Amino acid sequence: MKRLYIGGLSHSVTQKDLKDRFGKFGDVEDVEVRTRRDDDGVPYKTFSYININISDADLKKCMTVLNKSKWKGGTLQIETAKESFLNRLAEERQTAEEQRLQQPEVEDERQKMLDSLSKAGVDNFTMKAAVPGTEVPGHKDWVVSKFGRVLPVLQLKCQKGSRARTVNYDPSKYSHNIRKLDRSTVEQHTPVTQLTWEEQGGDDDISKKRRGEFPPYEPPRRKKSRTDVVKSHNAEGGAGSPPRRPLRVKTVVSVDHTEARRFTNGDQPPTNHRLAQRRTPRSTDWDIDSDEEIHKMVTAQNTSHAALQQQQEEEEEEDQLEVVGLDYLVKSGRKGGPDDKDENDYDSADTDELFASRKPPLPPLPPPQQRSTPQAPAQLSGNDRKRKMKKKKSTAGEEEDDSSGAEEEVASRKPSGEHSSQKQSKKMKVLPVVSLLSSESDEDDEDEEELESADCSSDSDYEAMFSNVTRLEISLADLQKLAEESSGQETNLTAGSSERPTPKKGTTPEEILAAIMEDSSDDEQQQKKKKKKKTKAAKVSTPLPAFQGTRALTGDAVKAAPPSTPRSESSSSEEEEEREEEGEKEKVVKNMAKKAETASSSSSEEEEERMKADQTGLTAKATAAAPSSSSSSSAEEDEQETAPPAPHSESSSEEEEEESEEEEEEEKQAPARVPLGAKEEEERQRKTNMRRLAAVQQRQKEAEDHKKLIQGALSSLDAPKAGAGKHIVFGSDDEDDDEDEQQTTSEVTTPKKTLSQDGQSEDEAAVSEKETTKGKPSVPQLFGGSEDEEDGDEEEDGSRFDVRPQFEGRVGQKLMALQSRFGTDERFRMDSRFLDEEEEEEEESEKKKKKKSVTEEEEPLEEERKKNLSILQSVLGSSQQTHSGKTAVKAKTFRDVSALHYDPSREEHAAFETKTEETKKESKAARRKKREEAQKLPEVSKEIYYDVSGDLKAVFGQTKDEDVAGGGDEETNWDREEEAEEEEEEVGGKEEQLSLLSADPGAENEEASGFKFSFFEDDTETGSGETAEYKVESIQAPKVSWQQDLRFQDSSSEEEEEEQQQQQEEEEEEQSSVTAKTTEEETPSKTDLFFFHLGDSRLTEGPRLFCRPSQLEEQREQWEERRSELRQEYRKKHKDARRKLRSSLKS
Amino acid sequence: MRPLTDEETKTMFEKLSKYIGENIKLLVDRPDGSYCFRLHNDRVYYMSEKILKLATHISRDKLVSVGTCFGKFTKTIKFRLHITALDFLAPYAKFKVWLKPGSEQSFLYGNHVLKSGLGRITENTMQYQGVVVYSLTDVPLGFGVAAKCTQECRQVDPMSIVVFHQADVGEFIRNEDTLT
Repeated sequence: MKRLYIGGLSHSVTQKDLKDRFGKFGDVEDVEVRTRRDDDGVPYKTFSYININISDADLKKCMTVLNKSKWKGGTLQIETAKESFLNRLAEERQTAEEQRLQQPEVEDERQKMLDSLSKAGVDNFTMKAAVPGTEVPGHKDWVVSKFGRVLPVLQLKCQKGSRARTVNYDPSKYSHNIRKLDRSTVEQHTPVTQLTWEEQGGDDDISKKRRGEFPPYEPPRRKKSRTDVVKSHNAEGGAGSPPRRPLRVKTVVSVDHTEARRFTNGDQPPTNHRLAQRRTPRSTDWDIDSDEEIHKMVTAQNTSHAALQQQQEEEEEEDQLEVVGLDYLVKSGRKGGPDDKDENDYDSADTDELFASRKPPLPPLPPPQQRSTPQAPAQLSGNDRKRKMKKKKSTAGEEEDDSSGAEEEVASRKPSGEHSSQKQSKKMKVLPVVSLLSSESDEDDEDEEELESADCSSDSDYEAMFSNVTRLEISLADLQKLAEESSGQETNLTAGSSERPTPKKGTTPEEILAAIMEDSSDDEQQQKKKKKKKTKAAKVSTPLPAFQGTRALTGDAVKAAPPSTPRSESSSSEEEEEREEEGEKEKVVKNMAKKAETASSSSSEEEEERMKADQTGLTAKATAAAPSSSSSSSAEEDEQETAPPAPHSESSSEEEEEESEEEEEEEKQAPARVPLGAKEEEERQRKTNMRRLAAVQQRQKEAEDHKKLIQGALSSLDAPKAGAGKHIVFGSDDEDDDEDEQQTTSEVTTPKKTLSQDGQSEDEAAVSEKETTKGKPSVPQLFGGSEDEEDGDEEEDGSRFDVRPQFEGRVGQKLMALQSRFGTDERFRMDSRFLDEEEEEEEESEKKKKKKSVTEEEEPLEEERKKNLSILQSVLGSSQQTHSGKTAVKAKTFRDVSALHYDPSREEHAAFETKTEETKKESKAARRKKREEAQKLPEVSKEIYYDVSGDLKAVFGQTKDEDVAGGGDEETNWDREEEAEEEEEEVGGKEEQLSLLSADPGAENEEASGFKFSFFEDDTETGSGETAEYKVESIQAPKVSWQQDLRFQDSSSEEEEEEQQQQQEEEEEEQSSVTAKTTEEETPSKTDLFFFHLGDSRLTEGPRLFCRPSQLEEQREQWEERRSELRQEYRKKHKDARRKLRSSLKS
Repeated sequence: MRPLTDEETKTMFEKLSKYIGENIKLLVDRPDGSYCFRLHNDRVYYMSEKILKLATHISRDKLVSVGTCFGKFTKTIKFRLHITALDFLAPYAKFKVWLKPGSEQSFLYGNHVLKSGLGRITENTMQYQGVVVYSLTDVPLGFGVAAKCTQECRQVDPMSIVVFHQADVGEFIRNEDTLT
């Protein structure tokens, strides 16, 4: 049967038509026609399925015939179709049925299996009471496992590498891995969040952190906000922290939000404060789900944390950390914050009152600083002063140098402006060009310089100056070499240089050479400059001569002409030759050359100068002056100024030598000069002229200054000559007090002055010439920094000597009047001697100053104080009233804390000494008393007592009372003892003899006398000894000890007692019973008495101790009586003790 | 040796006022004589006028120390307090911190003060307030700066720093050669 699909039917085809049509080929069983209609119900497609019983041949035929044949307006399309779904369903069902039929067989097998198992005793796969590992009988592959379960033996195929093999798995062998699980536990699934382990720990911070609970992160807040917070805390006041905590938590949370957002670019909500703390943008893979959860967690955590912290705080506050108010009073008596007035009067220690009382009133006005300061420099050694002067001068020279056009000129020549800043470097550059030799020598020179600078580096200012200025120094030998070379070469090369169209500026052959080689104007200029420097260096290398020359110039400053003077005047023949060679193109010489010329031209003048110097004897002063002149000369040049000072410090003799050398030098140098272009030279000439003039002026000024200085010094020199008793005052502070002393000191000091200045004393004539107007009198300051002050100091030095006479007559008179009077005196004197009015004026002014300073001694300090206070005010921002008015009042109450210390030499301080001595004294006295009494004590008590059971105190009291009544024979007995012990007593021990034995009157005597040692009964004896002391001194303590002693004393009586507790009773008994006992007196310290001696009472009494005093029977009876009592007592005591012990244990 | 300039005085007073506040005036304006500050070798010395006068007789390069050194100016013109000033500042201190006996040694070896070592503190101490450190027996031990205000001091954990160390009397031994 086939099912055919027939498509392409017309809509009008019916089932019958189809049946008929296909009936020809086979048996049509079923026809199914289907039509497809559109929305309107119009059929657009019709097809049908037919079930037909047809053979394959017929189907083929049918297909060929009917397929694509036209039938009723449609083209048939025949295809074999799938079976209808109904049929298929039916078929499926059928097959299912069949399967169902087959299954029971499997079931059967299982059943059979179960059956067989059950037969073997297996019920529901469990076999009761079977040892694991036993095989189920009849079943090869079944094994009993743990808990009696029957399990199959598995054969597992495992593939290892390429080959496969089977593994037998016997469950019984692994049965110990099996574990019985409770149903309930199995069912409970632990949530994932709880699967992570949790660490237990305390509430402290570290364990918290370990658990991952970090304290809320506090971002660094600004101080202000912090303080605000603090303020708020303060506002909350004593209530403390509790209310504040939650607040804080909140803020923290908010902070976290912001932080987190920042990290996560804002797209992820903030997660945890931890996140924020870590500062890592991990929120994206954070595994907590929702924000709310997180928030909750955070808040919960924080609150818990806060609560914890709160607790901690409370605890902590309880145990530690005291907070103290501002007015907290220190134990030692110091006060905390001196806020109010009372606290201002500071009270640092108990000693304060004493200090205040002994503190002298405010000391007399301290002497003024002004007056003392100017004298300080005077004490400096002459060298120091000179050095200072040099310094000053050199600085001056520098300044003036700057002002002068020298540098400008150079700068104009070289617009690049390197010059000023790179002098040093230029110099270095030049050197290699010139010659290796020179460079080396230069280096050497530099080293020398350094040495020199080190020598004079005592002043930092000086060094600083040096550092600013380049120093050029070349040794003489080097210069000579250079000059020779240059002269030699120049002659060779000048022709070549002259041929050049541009005017050559090279002054030395080296330069010319360089110019030829480099052939550029710039370089030439540079080199020219360098050359200049070279020449300068040459000059510098001979520093002293140079300044000497200038000095000569200044000496003849009036002339001032030399700059333009022609070269030929005094120049050497070499020079002239050179110039002739160079010809007339270069009209003027370089400035340096000129200078050299002038120097040389003025050599004659120099000589004159030297003559002068010889006259003056080249004193130290002269050397001091020299530097000044040198500096002035250096001012004319660019860089020379600073170099000279070191040489200046050399002795004058050296100077002379150097001068001579220098002359030679100059002569040698002369050839080195090279002419310049005419115009340039003219310009330069003008400039150099100007400079020179300026320098000369300056020179004059300095000379004047120098003169002044010398004048001052001389005047001071003269003063001592005038009055032998005149004196210098170094400490101007205490003029009033020290007048007498000053006189003596002045005598000592004046020679010094003269020593330092005797050089000047030699040329008085010169000094007289040099009288000039002095500059403004500078106010002396402590540490003057400027030249004026220096000069002022010098002046002061001078004037001090002038003033000295003042002090002479001042003795015993008032300061002011005396000063004025002697001032006039002095003036007279000065007039007569010097006929110099200006000086007088100066002196007058100085005197005035001094007067002022006397009155206003305190001023600088006062001013300083005021200034400080004002600054303080500005610092504190609060108004401060100065307490100058109150000081007087305060001085009484003020205590200098720093001055507080114990001075044993002071009587007041005795109050602070702990008075141990007094008590000692007392004790000593007491001891002496004791001793005396002990010595006296030999009074003997004649009392006889039989019973000690009563109050011992009373007993001893009795004995004392009856001392007087004591029998004489006992005394004799004691005396006997006394004799033996006399020495010992003297030594200081208290040897008293005692015996407890009541029967023996002698013993009693001894007892009264004090300490006692018994041969047989040590303890009792010592105890009694103490009682003796007690009697004497009425001290309480010994009594107790004595009683205690009594309790433990040993009995050596004839009766044998086994029980220790009864000793006391025995004692008493003994004492009562024993009538006669020998007294054995033994002093513990006296060892010799320990031994028996002839006539010792112990020898007689001892044997008696071995005799029974009474009948044995009696004793026994007595003892029986006693015994019962003792027993009772003992039991009672025992009970008490037990009870006590128990109670103590309980407690 | 020279008097301080205005700026120097100002910086120094500012520093001192952190410890003793307006009590500086008690140092400047003393009723028992005039005292002054002098600068020498970048160090500030506090001396009486009497000593000042005596010191003028000694040349600068030979003068090692005069009076009491209060501190020194650093190269950056900040003022650094020295322990030698303790004697003068301690009595006037406004804010104090007392150390427990156990932590005294630690402080005297130059360590900061932890909360655990804090025995007592003046109330209302602000943060970064200069304090004078005392032992509980009221012996001044040095200078410090409060790292936390008083309120915070109560709450912080015991190992946190409460006072920063600045100077202590241990320096008398440790820095013996540089203290003048």
